This record gives sequence, C-alpha cells and structure tokens, in this order.
Amino acid sequence: MDALQLVNTHVKLLAFDFLTLKPIPYESTIFSRKGRRLSRAETVGMVVSRDFKPNRFIKFDIDDGTGCIPCILWLNHESSHRRCPSNVRLIAQMAADFASQIQLGVIGRVRGKISRYRGNLQITVSDVVIERDPNSQILHWLDCLRLARNCYDKVVVLPST
Amino acid sequence: MATIASGALVNLEELVPSSQQFKHGISLRVTGKLQDYDVETAVAVIVDRNASLKVDAQHLNINLRIGSIFQFIGELLLEPDNEAILKARVGRNMDGMDLNLYRQSLQRLRDFQAGR
Repeated sequence: MDALQLVNTHVKLLAFDFLTLKPIPYESTIFSRKGRRLSRAETVGMVVSRDFKPNRFIKFDIDDGTGCIPCILWLNHESSHRRCPSNVRLIAQMAADFASQIQLGVIGRVRGKISRYRGNLQITVSDVVIERDPNSQILHWLDCLRLARNCYDKVVVLPST
Repeated sequence: MATIASGALVNLEELVPSSQQFKHGISLRVTGKLQDYDVETAVAVIVDRNASLKVDAQHLNINLRIGSIFQFIGELLLEPDNEAILKARVGRNMDGMDLNLYRQSLQRLRDFQAGR
C-alpha cells in the first residue's frame, strides 16, 4: 500500500508531467507517476481551445506553458439515471455554469479525474474556477515544483515491522 | 478536435535570430506591455525591457489598451526581412502581474523541466 496516499487527491501537475502519466493495466481509473498511484489532477492555465456541444459535453485545452491538457466536462447528466433527480439537476446546473465560464483566453483552474480517450490522457472535469489574479499561473507553477520535490517525488519507505 | 500546440514560454529579449525559438511557425507565449495598436491592421506592439514584438491580433476579441500588460499565445511568423510577428490565437490582459516574479519563476520552471 502507498503509505502517502495520493489516490483521490487532486495532484497539482504541470502539463508536461501530467502527459507522461502511465496507465495501470486492469485499473482504468488509476495512473502511475514514478511508481506513485494517482487518480485525480489539478491544472491551471489558459483556455486555448473550446468545443461546445450543448447538453452533451464541452471539450477544451488548458495550456500552462509546459504543455496542453485536454479536458472534458460532461453536460449530459440529465440523461443519466444513476443518481436521484434532485442531485442530477444540481450537478447539471453546476456543469452548465462551468461550461459558460470556459471561454478562450481565460485562466482556468481545473480539477477532475485523470482519464484516457483514444489513448490520450485527459482530465474529466469535476470543477472549474476562473482565476482573476494574473499571478495565479505563476503561483501554480511554484506549487507544482514544490509539491513535486517535497511530496510527489519522495520515495516512500514503509517502516519495517 | 485536433491537438493544440502549447505556446512555449519565452521572454521577448530571448527572441533573437540566433535563438532556437526564432523559427517560423513555432508556438509561443509572450508577455509584454502594449506600446502600440493599429486598429486598421490589428497589429499590436508589445515591449518588455529592451525588446519588442509585433502581434497580429485580428482573431482576438479583447480590449487592447495601450500601457496594459498582455499575454498572447500564437504562432511566430517570420517575414521576408526576418522581422517576426506573432499571429495570436488567444490573449488576455495581465495587469497586476508581477513581471519580476514571472521571470524568476520561469527560470525555475525551466530548471525543473531540464532536470526531468
């Protein structure tokens, strides 16, 4: 077991780092970075493409200066029957709000599940924050560097029993 | 949707003909203060310290205010006289950005990437 669990944590990764994550055979929702297991990621960057399909999805790319991360935000919740109707309405409304905020040139902070589509890594978006602070991108870079060095790159040594 | 090329981060001072990034068609992200903007041609000029760059802003729908800081992502086009112009895909106002912090952080980012 990973003593310092990163699964289900939104791991802050630079795009060039994110795009080298490795899939783990037979575990479609888990990815590996230097042997550490990850399932969720957070990125901050400029929205450089936008493909909006009403009531289906919005696909967009986030460019953080080190690469572009493809993102998909599903908008088809109301045709899903997996949750109770009131929850579905809330989730659908939230997703529609996020979609309206995702415009070319905005700086978005995107969090979600790491996934793959046609062999390419992407983020299946769970939430979006549009950053107003022009320094947010810089601070995200520094966060990513600090976390990579002090946390994500650390080799976990389990105490001997 | 086709894969979008990431705009490599570059300081204007680094955009000289001997630079690896001074290539026709390369995707770049540039930052500078808007010095000039011609509404008829939609060509802007940004400056940073002692360097400047022309930016073709015809595809952008933003308010280009002289004196403000802007960041643009697009492709570098080299004209016959070797003058460079960035054909911007996206751009945004970055007023309030700490340019010294940006330059220092960019250097740290490059060092980190080089160490991978």
